[in-house]
Amino acid sequence: MSDLDDFKATYFDECSELLLELEEQFAAIEEGDRSSDRLNAVFRAIHSIKGGGGAFGFQGLVGFAHAYETLLDHVRDGRVELSEHVTALCIRANDIVADFVAAAKDGSELEAGYGAEEKHQFDALTSGDPDMAGEPMEEFDIDFVPVMVTIAGAEDDDVVAEEPLSLALLDDTFEAPPLVSEAGHWTIRFAPHAELYARANDPLLLLRELGTLGEIEVRAVLDEIPALNDFEPFGVYCSWEISLNSETATEASIAEVFEFVEGNCDLEISRGTAPVAEAALDAEIEAMPSFAELMADEVEPEAASEDAPAGELLSFAALAESLKPALKAAPPVMPPPLRQAAPAEEFEGENDRRSGVEDRRNGVQSIRVDLDKIDRVVNMVGELVITQSMLTQQMDETLRARYQELVRGLEVLAQTTRGLQDSVMSIRAQPVKTVFSRMPRLVRELATKTGKKIRLETIGENTEIDKTIIEQLSDPLTHMIRNSADHGIESPEKRMAAGKAEGGVIRLSAEQAGGNILIAVEDDGGGINRERVLQVARDRGVVGPEQALSDEQIDQLIFAPGFSTASEVSDISGRGVGMDVVLSNIKKIGGSVHVKSWTGKGTRMTLRLPLTLAVLDVMLVKVAGSPYVIPLSSIVETIQCARANFSRMPTGGQVLQVRGEYVQVVDLASRFAMTTEVARDNRFVVLCEAEGGVKVAVIVDDIIGQQQVVIKSLEENFQSIEGIAGGTILGDGNVALIVDVQGLKSATAAHKSAA
Amino acid sequence: MRVLTVDDSRTILAMLHHTLSNAGFEVLQAEDGQKGLDVLKNESVDVVITDINMPVMDGIEFIKNVRASGMHNSLPILILTTETSQDKRDQGRAAGGTGWIVKPFDPEKLISVIHRVVH
Repeated sequence: MSDLDDFKATYFDECSELLLELEEQFAAIEEGDRSSDRLNAVFRAIHSIKGGGGAFGFQGLVGFAHAYETLLDHVRDGRVELSEHVTALCIRANDIVADFVAAAKDGSELEAGYGAEEKHQFDALTSGDPDMAGEPMEEFDIDFVPVMVTIAGAEDDDVVAEEPLSLALLDDTFEAPPLVSEAGHWTIRFAPHAELYARANDPLLLLRELGTLGEIEVRAVLDEIPALNDFEPFGVYCSWEISLNSETATEASIAEVFEFVEGNCDLEISRGTAPVAEAALDAEIEAMPSFAELMADEVEPEAASEDAPAGELLSFAALAESLKPALKAAPPVMPPPLRQAAPAEEFEGENDRRSGVEDRRNGVQSIRVDLDKIDRVVNMVGELVITQSMLTQQMDETLRARYQELVRGLEVLAQTTRGLQDSVMSIRAQPVKTVFSRMPRLVRELATKTGKKIRLETIGENTEIDKTIIEQLSDPLTHMIRNSADHGIESPEKRMAAGKAEGGVIRLSAEQAGGNILIAVEDDGGGINRERVLQVARDRGVVGPEQALSDEQIDQLIFAPGFSTASEVSDISGRGVGMDVVLSNIKKIGGSVHVKSWTGKGTRMTLRLPLTLAVLDVMLVKVAGSPYVIPLSSIVETIQCARANFSRMPTGGQVLQVRGEYVQVVDLASRFAMTTEVARDNRFVVLCEAEGGVKVAVIVDDIIGQQQVVIKSLEENFQSIEGIAGGTILGDGNVALIVDVQGLKSATAAHKSAA
Repeated sequence: MRVLTVDDSRTILAMLHHTLSNAGFEVLQAEDGQKGLDVLKNESVDVVITDINMPVMDGIEFIKNVRASGMHNSLPILILTTETSQDKRDQGRAAGGTGWIVKPFDPEKLISVIHRVVH
């Protein structure tokens, strides 16, 4: 059922937004902001999650959210105090709701009784309150019927309307109901109050609905209608007595018809037929048709009454007579009389309000667009950029001199294309806030677990970055912050002893620097313990015993695979994986990580990220006459070196010594089984860094330069090739393959071990 | 027939839209009470379905405003809510609400409730 799937997709989409909002609201609440706006927003978020969940029959989710909502309702109106304990409980509850939503989304089962403990606590906090706590949950057992009924509304409506409602008061052949009292016969007395009309309820509709229960006969009770002079235009004078003949109707089903007007009318439901007060029917029946017409057309008696002689007491019949001409003259719909007076005074206010509304409208205008659509636009703009640069390259000097207008046109095109590219990229950009907002919570948890006092500062959270990159940022940032809290910030005692403030600070900042986004995680802790890092590195063989390293090199060691300095595996960051995961994640999205540490003062880790993933900064090289591109992010340096510098290993591989370090050599030409004509003694070497800081020296024939390219997938267009990350189309229309340094390295290693 | 649906939940708006348009209604949407009032200023509708818990202007305020405007005395307004507690309904009705629909709603029931308050 695709419609239902669509709704579910909308729902889960909405849930993730609401969950994010919960995080934000609780971050502020934790800071001490307990304004009712926040509490209401929290309540609404949970309420919406519950509401949608109920529609799809997510029982566990709804049950939990309901208990949580009840608590929030109590908190909102002050029946339960929002103590630290309750706040912590709520934050935990948010997680549980998120888990329920996640489980509902991928159809998995949570362990039985998940969240029961918290739910129990909610109930305990809200118990003794009959209001919501006692509210039965049964109603949520109603399964949403996933079948979307196709009710032809108009038809349905017509059927009801055409059904000859035996509104006996319109009928000359009015028959008194039989005086028999038997099962299936009901008498209903219905006298509306003024409120019933004020709430736009309509007796005719109620009678119509009553008619669906069985055969009805309706008699209007008109005794109350006063003389014309006493007639209040909005007074309620009419009531009805209905006789219902139905095999199936019960008192409950009859009462249900009047459910919306309960308390706004006098309602009497009794079994059997009441003896009809024949006396009341005499003269009035004569007058009824015109009165009924009057009611049906909703003509205001007041408007009509102007024609009637004033100051004279009139019988109802006379009133009816006097109304007849007025009825004919009156337009079918008269404006409600109250309308004239009130708006005149309100007019100015009305105007103000309207302009206010317009301001608001101008302020926030946004539309929702499917990300796929934007991706397509981004891709097409990429193509356009390439075509444009191809055109520009085709213009040689002779053409330039001959077609000046064309040249000017191309220049304008180049400018517009760049503008277009920027605008399109900004569509997909999102503020880093979406990731940053999850961090205060993490820091809080870490502080509790480590027993340290830690404050998180965030700077530049409105810095925008491509959505696809943002999605990849959460894990690395989490890891970095864990690392700072666990290894960076010292215990309060240690900090006091070092003359620092008792509480540590972790600062999370984002800024744009040229074509990059810099995200830094900084702490004012003890800095990297270089002695220990080096010791561990030597123990684990990451660094040779004699190798001398600069401070900076030692700092970078924390990104080495499997490296962890925690003396004992802690609950927090020591999970067997170290900061190398951060590095590889960031590399995957074309970024780099840099760490700087000051002993006793703190550590700063900086992520340098590209603004977008669609366009890649590359170095264009040539191998055996074909162009290849190498991502700039994986290049350390380019060098020229003589053949003599390459040493052949016994295994057949080659190594190159670069600044005292032996680096594995990959000759692109032979790697891709091509023969190169270049026999120069000096070879160009691009020194690349693969995952985990392992270097690879790639031999190429020529280095052409740097440029930006749009990545095309090889898997989608051809097939996956080891050592090649994808393809791209260059300005001159040639296809260049993108070298995958990581793939090159592992492929060579595999090749070696096979040999 | 035109229906104005007012709810801050996109899921609910989407489901209402689907059910109502299948049943032949023309559906207008607003995300909160204030936006609902804006719609009513420019459009005429036959019935309004509104949520209670909404940001900016909640359903109760919305109904009060609609009735106070004097322009929509006979416009049926249905309260769409998961609240089963009597006091929410009473608040809604006291503000001028015509009736209510309990979430999660059954499509058929939804249509029949609308026919209960609209000609």
